[in-house]
Amino acid sequence: MQNQDGHVVESGTETITSTKASEIEDWANFRDDDILQQQSAIQAEEAGKIPFVGDKEPLSSLAAEYKSGNPILVEKINVLTEQYAAIRRTRGDGNCFFRSFMFAYLEHILQTQDRAEVDRITANVEQCRKTLLSLGYAEFTFEDFFALFLEQLESVLSGTEASISHDELVQRSRDQSISDYVVMFFRFITSGEIRKRSEFFEPFVQGLTNTSVEQFCKSSVEPMGEESDHVHITALSDALGVPIRIVYLDRSCDDKGSVSVNHHDFTPAACQVTNANSCATQAAKPFINLLYRPGHYDILYPK
Amino acid sequence: MVDFARVQKELQECNRDFEVSGIRVVPNGEANLAHLLGTIPGPLGTPYEGGTFKIDITLPDGYPFEPPKMRFATKVWHPNISSQSGAICLDILKDQWSPALTLKTALLSVQALLSAPEPDDPQDAVVAQQYLRDYQTFVGTARYWTEAFAMISSLGVEEKVQKLVEMGFPEALVRSTLESVGGDENLALEKLCST
Repeated sequence: MQNQDGHVVESGTETITSTKASEIEDWANFRDDDILQQQSAIQAEEAGKIPFVGDKEPLSSLAAEYKSGNPILVEKINVLTEQYAAIRRTRGDGNCFFRSFMFAYLEHILQTQDRAEVDRITANVEQCRKTLLSLGYAEFTFEDFFALFLEQLESVLSGTEASISHDELVQRSRDQSISDYVVMFFRFITSGEIRKRSEFFEPFVQGLTNTSVEQFCKSSVEPMGEESDHVHITALSDALGVPIRIVYLDRSCDDKGSVSVNHHDFTPAACQVTNANSCATQAAKPFINLLYRPGHYDILYPK
Repeated sequence: MVDFARVQKELQECNRDFEVSGIRVVPNGEANLAHLLGTIPGPLGTPYEGGTFKIDITLPDGYPFEPPKMRFATKVWHPNISSQSGAICLDILKDQWSPALTLKTALLSVQALLSAPEPDDPQDAVVAQQYLRDYQTFVGTARYWTEAFAMISSLGVEEKVQKLVEMGFPEALVRSTLESVGGDENLALEKLCST
């Protein structure tokens, strides 16, 4: 206690000599706990607005959102309506890309019961496990996340004791103890792929953040809540061999002012070289369709 | 709910290469794995060299999704560590935490922080100003604190070990018991007698 008192007096004299120092003093009183507490308060507030994965809504609900908004966006939503029937929103917590991918992929398997695809992706997941081990990750840091994803994959196939209904898939996607584990699983997969092919990804990473691949993975891929960019999407699509279509809803239009909706298909690298079994593109069209609005991803359903 | 199965694996993994890293994590007192005690050796070539620093670790319910709460239990003079509370200013203990990290990697980062202070992002403004304005005095104070707080306790441990061994307890058991109660001789004796 004496030490503490002594210290307070000492810092008191410091603050008289410099106002800047007193500001720093105030910051020093901000403990990590306070910052984390505020963060979780914001998260809780956000959670009240929308679950991790929302209900399927007709695309008209998107149109309603922009009813009196930017005319380019209104026009683009009209164009979208020609191809897409519905949207499923996800929570804007920085994990929306991975969360959208999770639900869209598992829902696809649940509806198609495509066992060949499940076998294929399981083999890729096994490959990813080896990648992480060879990169020096301790197995216990990722094994639980892998196990939980494979469990979900198993459960969307019918005919086993563990089989689940569509409703239950929705429930599980909203259950933090499952949903966050699967999101983290994808973060591991993404980070492993970027590190494994660091020469390929380096220029893209530098363009985004001007840091090393290693630092990028540590600060922008592996922590929960870090938003995804084309680097993440490319890596996840490549690692799992799953093509992803991103439809962009932004204010861009061409010189003449005519409006079209851009999309980009992320085609796994393995599929571009050969039509090997390591990817899911027998049909050229990706079965994962996501709507990108600057800063956020939701799931789209084609007509 | 803390993932205790994982914590158990982490403790084994970390303590297995103690010889190499010098970093150790043990349960702190109760059988509850949510409260742990870490130790890191002061990095060579720094004013912290030769010191053994205790880190008080509390695992929040959301671990490993939420970062472990870490705080120096040994007093230390460093711009990014509060000289009063032991609070640590380190990004991976806040928003840069990831479940891909472990208690050991976090402690390694804390150790790296001892080697590379960041006075522009201070936890303790007084220390940070001294570091920037009068580096020699900073080194002297940091060294003095290391000798006063981080060494005596480890010397003390040897004395306590010797004392308890002389009472007839096996040395390995004495050491692990002392560790588990955070070095308190009386608590250790009580625990040794009750087992």
